[in-house]
Amino acid sequence: MSFSPDQIVEQLDQAKNLAYTDASTYPQVLRQILNFVTSPESKIQLWCVQFLKESFVENKIANHSDKVDLAIDSLDSLVFLSNIPNLHIFKHVISISSVIYRLVFRYVAENDGCNPIWSKLTELKNSLVNKFQSNFPLEASDNEEFDLFRNIDTKIELVKFMMLVIDYQSKSTVINGSSSNGSVSPPPNTFSLNNVTTTHSLIKYSNMEYEAVNLLDLLLKTFSNNVIVAPLITATLNHFIIIMKRKPQYVTKILNMVENYDTNAKFQSNYQSLEEFKLAKKYVDRIFRVFLFHILRNNLVPTNYQNTLNKKMNQLVERGNDIRKKNIFVINEPNIRKRKFDGFLNPTKKIKTLDYKNLYCLNDINSDLNNFDLTSVPQHILTQMVVTALKKASVNKVTKALEIISERYTDAILGPGVAIKKEDADEDDDDDDVGENYNPETVYTLPPPTDLSFQEKKEHISIIIKNFFKLANNPNGISPEEEKVGDAEEGINKELTKTAINSWKKDSWLVLLTRLATRGMRSAVLQEDEDNEAEKSPDAKANEEMSDMIRTAIFDYFLDNIHSRIDLIIEWLNEEWYSEKVFNEEIQIRKAKAQKAVKQEASDDAIVDTPPVETAKVETPIYNKWAGKVLDSMIPFLEPNDRKIFIRLLSDLPYLNEDLVGRIKSLCLDPVRIKIGFLSLQFLIMYRPPVKDVCLKILTQLSESDQDDLREEAKKLLAKYSV
Amino acid sequence: MVVEDSLKICTVCASNNNRSMESHKQLKDAGYNVKSFGTGSAVRLPGPSADKPNVYEFGTPYEDIYNDLISQNCRKIYEANGLIHMLDRNRHVKTAPEKWQNNAYAGKFDLVITCEERCFDSVLDDLMYRMYSKADENDVKQIVHVINVDIKDDNENALIGGKGILKLVNMVHEFRSKKKVEGEDESTVLLEDQMMNILTEWQKNHTHLPTLYSVSYY
Repeated sequence: MSFSPDQIVEQLDQAKNLAYTDASTYPQVLRQILNFVTSPESKIQLWCVQFLKESFVENKIANHSDKVDLAIDSLDSLVFLSNIPNLHIFKHVISISSVIYRLVFRYVAENDGCNPIWSKLTELKNSLVNKFQSNFPLEASDNEEFDLFRNIDTKIELVKFMMLVIDYQSKSTVINGSSSNGSVSPPPNTFSLNNVTTTHSLIKYSNMEYEAVNLLDLLLKTFSNNVIVAPLITATLNHFIIIMKRKPQYVTKILNMVENYDTNAKFQSNYQSLEEFKLAKKYVDRIFRVFLFHILRNNLVPTNYQNTLNKKMNQLVERGNDIRKKNIFVINEPNIRKRKFDGFLNPTKKIKTLDYKNLYCLNDINSDLNNFDLTSVPQHILTQMVVTALKKASVNKVTKALEIISERYTDAILGPGVAIKKEDADEDDDDDDVGENYNPETVYTLPPPTDLSFQEKKEHISIIIKNFFKLANNPNGISPEEEKVGDAEEGINKELTKTAINSWKKDSWLVLLTRLATRGMRSAVLQEDEDNEAEKSPDAKANEEMSDMIRTAIFDYFLDNIHSRIDLIIEWLNEEWYSEKVFNEEIQIRKAKAQKAVKQEASDDAIVDTPPVETAKVETPIYNKWAGKVLDSMIPFLEPNDRKIFIRLLSDLPYLNEDLVGRIKSLCLDPVRIKIGFLSLQFLIMYRPPVKDVCLKILTQLSESDQDDLREEAKKLLAKYSV
Repeated sequence: MVVEDSLKICTVCASNNNRSMESHKQLKDAGYNVKSFGTGSAVRLPGPSADKPNVYEFGTPYEDIYNDLISQNCRKIYEANGLIHMLDRNRHVKTAPEKWQNNAYAGKFDLVITCEERCFDSVLDDLMYRMYSKADENDVKQIVHVINVDIKDDNENALIGGKGILKLVNMVHEFRSKKKVEGEDESTVLLEDQMMNILTEWQKNHTHLPTLYSVSYY
């Protein structure tokens, strides 16, 4: 049977009342209650920690030996509770630990050999002390400086505990044991390392003093910060008086700090107003003055420090008297400088109001800057501004900023009680300005894009090319998931995949790139007037030039590795030829139609036949040029065993003419590669009849050569094929 | 009227008669849990002339002081300078002036408001002394906020200062009752984290009442 948290609390209350009314049951009740500490319900945890506080801090346990035993039994629970990120729980844990630490430390000191108890106590102590520099139980913000001003509450409590540890874990030598009013201070029963036997196996003197001095250094850090956190500084300095009184071995550390500390050398924090900073300076100066006055008057200062500290105090007194009756807000202090800001003014990771402003705003949310209407800036300037800003920002900072925003977003989406409109989440981010001005009647259209200059276009093309080759060189760059995206998408995307690419394969980049070169840039020419056809428009020329950029890139890519990239070159040249052929045919047909129209106008006679376009006559100069280049670049580097790839190329090239085939001749003239040359010719004669005549012509030329072997081979082939 | 969840507050001036008592009264009337003390060595009140003050020991009931003053020859002066009126007010607030240095019986305070820089120094100096002069192994030190609001020692200024102190205490309590807004950084509702902020805001509206502030333990 399980109980609700409220029922459990009710039962716990009954148990507590029993313990309060019958002291003999207290130990048993407390031990039972410790079992509830690990409850996942924070309500129950809080109840337990409150009970422990009443027990130890408010002295509800009457019997001292019971108290020591129970303190030991509570160690585990306290270690557990010290890691619960809850402000109330943690503050109570610090207070309870302050009592328990003393009880258990003394117990261990008197009972050497109780290793498990000692290690548990050490664990508890470390768990607390280690949190001084974090912002536990609060989450750290993105900015160190901001964190200095956060969670001071807990830090002040921890200072108290750390001072206690320093006091216990180091030797005490009371300075000026008896005070002016005759009472002995501190009283003789103050516990410290003096009360532990020097041969103790667990509490080792050197370790204890070492730890104590480390803790002191940690506390002194508060003063070396270049900003002033007044509550923490005043609290720490006030508490240092114990060390001044009992720990002469550490006095110099503190006095050196006091000597060098100067509020005038500190910066105004980005997280405090000028007024607050001025007050902080005044407050801290005053407490240093009170501290100095106290230690000087009570003779707690070694003689070698007295002069400088007296001077220091006089300086502070003067400074205080100067501003005593003044309104310090109007005092002009030109020397105040702000600490260099390296964070965000609004770094909270939780969104306060559900709007885009609160989601994205990283500077002060009330800053006038936020009211500036960016839409009034022309778009091209805006883009430039954004790009420049992004270039200037440090990667770390941008990453942090994005982290904050994404956390806010997640928080807003997942946060309890936050109702977010469905469409808000689904829609693009661009609808910032859909608000009070929203009118469903108006149709929103994007402004037309500004024309790019030719130079810009060229730059973009080269970026595109680069990106494609990046893909080519990184076949693993595309994950299987990404490959499938095309299939999964609905609507427009689906249509798009139908016409372009079904799924991204290793070589898809080439298809896209070649088509971009061969077809993508050509539309302008189609609209050309026939009269201008001979002279290409500047646009067409420009497009041509950009296509050539791509071609050159593919060509260079091929040259990098002729042997393994022959397939690629074949694919490209086929694309090239096909599109050029289709394109030029189209022009011819249109021309023919136009002629027909003219003729029809001229003669009223019935039908004039459209002259059929002879496909064979359609020229493909671009293809021819690049196929020639490919052959030229390849032939000089062919080696005897490259036979296969070369013949493959010859067989798969979509079109060959005399000029292209003629380039094989040089192969036959080279004694080493004569075989490839003749083999290629033979292949063409056999399998590509359109160029048979051209080949025979070459053979005839070769048969007249003065090289014997060449002549013989040519004649042999001629005899065989020239029928 | 009682302020629920009131901090334990005390006001402090030199003689625990004028400034600390005026603000004591105002805070008490507003429902706060408040006490008041003096840091001087004795209670010093104006006498027939500047070099002849009326001196009483702390603990002397206001009633007795009142009776003593009206029995004196220069009663008219005391009536004119408001002394009689002041003691009449005091005896209706509490029995007798109390000394800060001997106030252990009153328990610990969360908020100590002094009315003069000298008193502020005395309180902190005394807290330092208490820090090492006591050795109760069970004692857990408690945080105390000590604020000085500098008030000139006369009737009129005591009244103005008292109002200022009441306003400050109200601000602190309003802050404490502020609920954490869902999603807000918890630091924004921690008194220790925001104390400087509160003081700055208050000071902006009370530039004629210069402040000092320190956190201490006792």
